[in-house]
Amino acid sequence: MAYLIGLPLLLLLAIVQSAVLSHLLLLDGRPDLVLLAVVAWALTGRWREAMGWGLAGGLMLDLLSGAPFGASSIALVLVAFLVSLTEGRFWEAHLLMPLGAMLVATAAFYAISIAALFLTGQLPDLLASLTRVVLPGLFLNLLLAIPAAQLAQALCSALFPPEVRI
Amino acid sequence: MKTWRSRGVYAGILILVAAGLMLLSLSGFLRPAQGLALRPIEAAQGWLSSRYLAIHDSLSSPRDVATLRQQNSDLQSQVATLQREIISLREKAAQADILGALLNYARTQPENRYLATNVVGRDVSPFLRSIWIAGGSDDKVERGMPVVTESGLVGRVSEVYATMSRVQVITDPQAAVNIRLQNSRADGVTAAQPNGELRVEQINQAADVVTDELVLTSGLGGGYPPDIIVGQVLSVRRRDYELFQQAVIRPAVDFQNLEIVLVITSFHALPVAPSGS
Repeated sequence: MAYLIGLPLLLLLAIVQSAVLSHLLLLDGRPDLVLLAVVAWALTGRWREAMGWGLAGGLMLDLLSGAPFGASSIALVLVAFLVSLTEGRFWEAHLLMPLGAMLVATAAFYAISIAALFLTGQLPDLLASLTRVVLPGLFLNLLLAIPAAQLAQALCSALFPPEVRI
Repeated sequence: MKTWRSRGVYAGILILVAAGLMLLSLSGFLRPAQGLALRPIEAAQGWLSSRYLAIHDSLSSPRDVATLRQQNSDLQSQVATLQREIISLREKAAQADILGALLNYARTQPENRYLATNVVGRDVSPFLRSIWIAGGSDDKVERGMPVVTESGLVGRVSEVYATMSRVQVITDPQAAVNIRLQNSRADGVTAAQPNGELRVEQINQAADVVTDELVLTSGLGGGYPPDIIVGQVLSVRRRDYELFQQAVIRPAVDFQNLEIVLVITSFHALPVAPSGS
């Protein structure tokens, strides 16, 4: 069920990111909707599906990009794995948990994206990329992290209501 | 601990799958599949993009000035056409001074053929500056074809699929256009900066470059046809101890508001190296 809803949702988010969000720039940064969705779903504790979302969402992003095909998938699967490691910690349910997870996730996502571009010779200036793309993108992702996590939690509860023994 | 290990194994398998797909893609084996997958996406992307732009337009301007806007748009189009004619005439006169009347007379320029196409999206990677257009190999679009608007040069086609193409715009850090400064006749090469600034480098120190001078494609290298407007000189940096001088230019095209572009289908670029090499 999570894949039935997740895959069309990820495709829609990738298209919105290309067709709409590209007009709404803060410097050169923009929120990464697919990253937000993967991190939010990973925070619900459904790590296996979150990694699947990461693979599929990354492929959809790379279809609409000149970046190496598969690079975003690697980044998003790794991000889902990292976020899943927060499960079971005593601070797992903390209100600000999505912010911390998003901070790590965005850093990892951009680091892998930059490395992939760098390896294929497509990125000339790391400092400018950091200040004009990564930091504004990080700010926007953090801004949307808590609403995205709450939406994912609500969706998860609706799709997979907890079993109650009577 | 066991759960974490299983997570690591699962993540590792998925990363290996993604890496395998990356290798297949870099080898070119996935191109047909990517083209097939992009067909439905192009339609959705175009629909969403046009709806967004329509909503944006209706919110950003009152309805009672729609007619005036249309007239203004028509007049701007006419002005752009006249400007292009003036520039073309000036350019020909300047060439005549340098090359002589005979050579100029012998020079022939074939009529360009254009394909008008919608801009349906932009690169989702914030590190690359490219646009997606709704014309592909089905419309006879080929890699290397220049893309322009009535204002000037946009870029050139860098990837072609059946129904869509990716256009690397001239402000992409990997793009380089051989240019000529209209008045000083100096040649140079554009070098886009990651902050969006567009510079012209390798300008001869002896050239007398001034602000507001027009920058045109030179046609050198065979990547672009000559005499397409690229931009206007904003400032010049000239130091005696450097081999060349530099100029910062303002692109003629407003890349944030591109809706329709023209692909010059009659121009076939000389073979170019793959992007990034």
